[in-house]
Amino acid sequence: MTKKAKGRLRLLVSMLALVVLLSSCGGGGSKPDNVNGGKVTLQFWTIALQPTFTPYFNRVIADYEEKNPNVKIDWKDYPYDAVTNKLLTSIASGSSPDVVNLNTEFASQMGSKGAVVDMNEHLSPEEKAAYFDGIYNSTVINGKAYALPWYTGTEVLYMNTKLVKEAGLDPAHPPKTREELSEWGRQINRKIGKAGYAQQLVSKLFAIDGIPILNKEKTAAAFNTPEAVAMIDNLKKQMEDGVVLKEDAEFSQQVKYYAGEQVAFELAGPTFINFIKTAAPDVYKNTIAVPSPTGKADVRLSNTMDLVVPTKSAHVDEAVKFAVFLTNAESQTAFSKAANTLPSTKDSIKDPYFTQSDQSLEAQAKVVSAQSLDKATDHMVGVPNAKDVNSAVTRAFQNIILNGTDTKQTLTALEQEVNDILKQ
Amino acid sequence: MTKWLRSESFTAWAFMTPGLLLLAVFVFWPIIYSIPLALTDYSVISDTHYVGLDNFEAAFKDRNFLISIWNSLVYVLIVPFLQIFSILMAVLVNSRIPGIKIFRTTFYLPVVTSMVAVALIWSWLLGNNSVVNYLLMQAGLISKDIHWLSDSSLALYVLMFITMWKGLGYYMMLYLAGLQNIPQDLYEAARVDGASRWRLIVHITLPLLRPYVLFCTLISLMAAIRVFDEVYVLTKGGPGTATLTSSLYIFQKGMEQFNFGYASALGLIVGAVIAVLSIIVFRFNRKGGVNPY
Repeated sequence: MTKKAKGRLRLLVSMLALVVLLSSCGGGGSKPDNVNGGKVTLQFWTIALQPTFTPYFNRVIADYEEKNPNVKIDWKDYPYDAVTNKLLTSIASGSSPDVVNLNTEFASQMGSKGAVVDMNEHLSPEEKAAYFDGIYNSTVINGKAYALPWYTGTEVLYMNTKLVKEAGLDPAHPPKTREELSEWGRQINRKIGKAGYAQQLVSKLFAIDGIPILNKEKTAAAFNTPEAVAMIDNLKKQMEDGVVLKEDAEFSQQVKYYAGEQVAFELAGPTFINFIKTAAPDVYKNTIAVPSPTGKADVRLSNTMDLVVPTKSAHVDEAVKFAVFLTNAESQTAFSKAANTLPSTKDSIKDPYFTQSDQSLEAQAKVVSAQSLDKATDHMVGVPNAKDVNSAVTRAFQNIILNGTDTKQTLTALEQEVNDILKQ
Repeated sequence: MTKWLRSESFTAWAFMTPGLLLLAVFVFWPIIYSIPLALTDYSVISDTHYVGLDNFEAAFKDRNFLISIWNSLVYVLIVPFLQIFSILMAVLVNSRIPGIKIFRTTFYLPVVTSMVAVALIWSWLLGNNSVVNYLLMQAGLISKDIHWLSDSSLALYVLMFITMWKGLGYYMMLYLAGLQNIPQDLYEAARVDGASRWRLIVHITLPLLRPYVLFCTLISLMAAIRVFDEVYVLTKGGPGTATLTSSLYIFQKGMEQFNFGYASALGLIVGAVIAVLSIIVFRFNRKGGVNPY
């Protein structure tokens, strides 16, 4: 062997040794000892709630620890974009948190993989009955409830009264159905050259018109129907006519278009107010909130934040108990008052806070949306692998509406794709 | 032992070790680990099972993955343009024109700007009722809004343009370094022999820049196939699958849908594609450069 070859061999062997050495460092993380002197420490994670709501959580955690002296709550808060990675890496390294705040889509996705605890096994019928049925059932898959609903929001219709009046429409008599909303959008486009509203192309569009995404057994796609074809073709036409902006507009884009007065309406939850107040104070002054126009299904859809307990938690019973406490009517009413959100518990909306309005935009939106909670349901009710299904549906909508592919053919291909996802 | 401790090779290894350690942890190990991972249904959050070659079989039947590979290969079309324009820019900023430093800085500015910030700026420039559409309308070049990022026939090319716009300054600097490495006496000798400016470029500049062309072509090729940030921020792979690139699809399958086993298999396939293309580029660029001996 030449000197050069020996050198190369030595280099290769050293590199391999290094890799082997490093591989022994990875994985197999040990579970941290969460029991200190008889006290159980629960890791509780939320999404983007610090520092704004720190006083509320400090209060509620102190209250819980006082009532449960054997439990200590270690609260951590992560940005929305980081929580998925953080959760995955924690579970992978064997140090799973105990109670985690997730949205319905993510909770359902984790439930499909058997990664979160079935709440039905832990809650009494009375405890379950405290939540609005439509919202509680949103993460029920095959009879298993994978999350407890926490704070929620339903869409309301925000209306730029200046633009509406310029188009010769009366904001005092707002549109009550999606069809009326389209007519208003058409008139706005015709009279002042603006669009009605911007829309995100998501599976929620099926739910608005009462088109089921999956069959009752949640085993196959159920949206390949003439009603779905009509709904999509109608939206496509509205985009071509300038009633709806021809774009798959994410929420941040929708804020931009409304703030820039390129659209007269916005269908969104209460958080929209804060964005518009900051981005366009003049537009904020001209904005009113009215009940969201309903589609053929006559339902109002909720966007719910849930609490889940990962199956890898070392203290499942204590974690579920804390999650129940945090989502009970009393805690939720207090949180709604602190955070301007809606509760998912029936008793909470009896509080005067949800029935009385001082006519500010925030109060209008709150009262209007609170009154529609009994009708509220999440659009992804019990959908397994919800994230996979959602992205497939979005791609198909974009193909039909923006790329001009044939509606029927694309829906048939989508049906096949969703059925394949459900088999995973 | 002490002899080796004083040797040049020990010094070299001492300097390289921290970097190699980091590479081993964050590059080599993940690559190696993805091989066994690709043979499982690993999802981090649930039990893992061995699935053999099922993930690879599924990949070649996965229409979206094949589309994403195709889109990534189309993205590679920016590589020659990137090289041509960056060489031209390097030649320009290498000249002694007054105020050339301002140009040099301006061209390099997009490189040091975060891709997310760049993508957001372009989204404002190209959205509905955007500045670009307004200017084109004022100039009488278009009569109605063009949906730059939501038109499937345009979106991918718009993204390619943005990637190229951002990368130009970086490759320009590399080529500038190459140009300044070319001995000036070669040019002087050629000029004495009566060579024109064009002949200087064709017979001296370009042949001696070949190693730089090879290097820049290789890294821009890899970057084009691995493109992620601008696609994720501006289109999320849409409309439909018009801008779905392989990196984005792997990200969606892994980080959004928790199919890490499948995502690893896709990553290995894309890695193989990059390797094949790199070998082809190597074959075409073997000669040239300045021989210092």
